[in-house]
Amino acid sequence: MFMNEFEYLAPKTPGEAYELVSRLGSKAKILAGGTDLVILMKDKILSPEYLIDITNIEEFAGISYEPGKGMVIGATTKNADVQYSEIVKEKYYALAYAAGEIGSSQVRHMGTIGGNSCNASPSGETPTPLVALGAKVVVSSAAGDREMPLEDFITGVRRIDLKEGEILTKFILPEPAPKSASRYAYMGARDANEIDCVNMAVNIELEADNQTVKNVRLVMGSVFVRPLVSAAVPALLNGQKFSDGLVEKAAEAAQGEAKPITDIRASEEYRYTIVGVLARRLLKEAFAAAQEV
Amino acid sequence: MKQLICLEINGREYDVPVSPRDVLSDVLRKKVGLTGTKKGCGMGDCGACTVLVEGKPVLSCITLAIACNGKKVTTVEGLTLPDGQLNPLQAAFVNHGAIQCGFCTPGMLMSASGLLNRTPKPTLYDIKHEMSGNICRCTGFKRIIEAIEAASETMTEGVK
Repeated sequence: MFMNEFEYLAPKTPGEAYELVSRLGSKAKILAGGTDLVILMKDKILSPEYLIDITNIEEFAGISYEPGKGMVIGATTKNADVQYSEIVKEKYYALAYAAGEIGSSQVRHMGTIGGNSCNASPSGETPTPLVALGAKVVVSSAAGDREMPLEDFITGVRRIDLKEGEILTKFILPEPAPKSASRYAYMGARDANEIDCVNMAVNIELEADNQTVKNVRLVMGSVFVRPLVSAAVPALLNGQKFSDGLVEKAAEAAQGEAKPITDIRASEEYRYTIVGVLARRLLKEAFAAAQEV
Repeated sequence: MKQLICLEINGREYDVPVSPRDVLSDVLRKKVGLTGTKKGCGMGDCGACTVLVEGKPVLSCITLAIACNGKKVTTVEGLTLPDGQLNPLQAAFVNHGAIQCGFCTPGMLMSASGLLNRTPKPTLYDIKHEMSGNICRCTGFKRIIEAIEAASETMTEGVK
């Protein structure tokens, strides 16, 4: 359980970090919380020659919100800070809740929101609500910034669209629509310290009548190689009056889109069933919450 | 290659030579000689190695010591009051029988300290949720939860 020998580098500014990441390329790994990376190194799955610790760079951390414009969350912001943030809870409830359900308290105080996406595990907690909330990521290098939706940044199992010399630096969340609410739920072997066999987030916006769905976004985690954005659920619900009958149809539609596999945590069949259970539960919860806004 | 780092452990500064791959739990135990911190699974699952870094609970078995350079670390040895008495949390663990073999206890105490620093009056849900990263294989968790509840009462007496 010993790691390989490596050189540790701790840049203090974005410029130094871009230079190191660009110069060392595939010989280096970027270290943030280390809750995934250090374990992969102890297991000898990864043996980088250099670790570039980006947690001392102030510009990469912190949560800022501007009414009407939305929120920016630095990539090295700890998941615990997202979990406890009052403004995140108020504006992006699904994200605060998901951040609070990652691993254990210790893992949340160590791990970062950027790391949770860069690790690109299909069962990752925060990518699902972030995608449902319409989050974009900013990847930065000495050459400048690139912006893209998070669902395009995560390209597959442990695969992300990060080119040599680039670092994920922040998430941009749009201001929530006036009559909207988001909710997140997961299923795993137990409540705490588990890895989800299915997780899901719903972000729903209602018309002024409080009954008609203006826009809904349902995102599934752990049932595809990356967060799966439902196309069928908005097609069924948008413009329609919310009803239990429609929820049933939407849940079936989500099940039809999911592409789960059987693995150590759950069977394909069980995951299909849970997609239906979570979709029904979350659509109803998010609808009720949006009516209260 | 060894590099000299400075750790402020339990209020005292230590200059320690470390390799980049040395994890904090090994440095605390083998180089600083503070063996209160226990190493259980070594993979960040069991919580026995929990210490506070800048007041926040972290898993010292998967934390690089070199990444803590210049930071404040609190271990179970740092909980004891200056006169050598147990602090209210430690005393509550003893009085409630929340200890059996004792191997998980330092980690339990540090996670509970982190929780009470943040939330002086936690609900039962808060305690269960925030302590879920600490595993005990002998007493069960009931007495540990009761001890934390009792410590919270003692520590917030007279506070609104």
